[in-house]
Amino acid sequence: MVARETNPNFMNGVPELLILKLLQQDEMYGYEIVQAIRDRTGAVIAIGEGVVYPVLHGLERDGALRARRKTVNGRNRIYYSVTSRGKRRLADLSRNWVNLKNAIQAMLMGGQRGDAIP
Amino acid sequence: MATRFHELRERLLRAGVAPRHVRRYLGELTDHFADLTAEEQRAGGSLSEAQSAALARLGKTEDLAQALIEQSRFRSWCARAPWAMFGFGPLILLGAAYLVACLYLWCGWNFFLPGTDTPFGTLLAPTYSLANMYFQAGKFYYYSAPTLVGWTIGIVAARQRLKAIWPTLGLGLIAWMGATARIHASRTAVTGHGHIGMEFFLLGHSGPTLSQSLLSAFVLFALAMFPYLVWRLRGTFVGTLTLMRGLF
Repeated sequence: MVARETNPNFMNGVPELLILKLLQQDEMYGYEIVQAIRDRTGAVIAIGEGVVYPVLHGLERDGALRARRKTVNGRNRIYYSVTSRGKRRLADLSRNWVNLKNAIQAMLMGGQRGDAIP
Repeated sequence: MATRFHELRERLLRAGVAPRHVRRYLGELTDHFADLTAEEQRAGGSLSEAQSAALARLGKTEDLAQALIEQSRFRSWCARAPWAMFGFGPLILLGAAYLVACLYLWCGWNFFLPGTDTPFGTLLAPTYSLANMYFQAGKFYYYSAPTLVGWTIGIVAARQRLKAIWPTLGLGLIAWMGATARIHASRTAVTGHGHIGMEFFLLGHSGPTLSQSLLSAFVLFALAMFPYLVWRLRGTFVGTLTLMRGLF
């Protein structure tokens, strides 16, 4: 019998997903990441700006991100970029999120396409 | 900036987060705070308004602390298993320090006293000769090893804001090990090879008496405890001073 994964928390993994997606294109430091999330989601997703760092540190520890110090305009910052393991994790998280979104959409549509729940 | 996140640092360290993770987190938060302040100032706020807005955007101290604390992998080993770190760690550390002392003695014995049966009490050399200075330095290292290891334990405990019970346990073990340590060196009659050995925790015939050991242990404990005690008293003094400032 195949074990089914559960979704204990719908928002679980969303910060990781957004961060990995952003860093897939370019390396960034914490402040840039938070600004980019706010800009690209139209400020719909606003996370406490400071709490992004534990997420970044956790991803780095898992080997999904790589961190390096870089001096730009006299400021020494820690830039993060995605590793190949991070790319695989992004693919998994994206797939899970799309499945979840489709399932919720199906529920909202009343089980049949075009029949929205009144 | 150190005082701005002082409360957060104390909260994280007392929760058992490893100091290196705390340092990095606070460093990044400090940079982020500077960026937010600059952004708010560009938007037209005064410095104090910009700093208040930046702090609010960064998040509450409790939320910032909780975000790191709930990831157990950032906890230090001293917080995860203090009984192992302060029960076995000090003994292993002092054992390693004594091993270095034995190697140092063995090298000096072979180099300066190659024909003698023991390196103890047989050196007939001027006070300022290289051989005499070599052995005196070794003796100094041997006797100061428990204190130095104790200071290391005390500093580790102070950095990680651990409960006093753990460094007290570690320092007590170090003091007892140091007080009962005995070093032996002899040359075997058959092969002629020098042999250096050590023994610990033994009392009676070959070892020191109980009263001698207790006195030595007490002196070593007091010496090893000194930096940790100073740190604890300093913390109490600063806390009282802050309280008095608040009252007056």
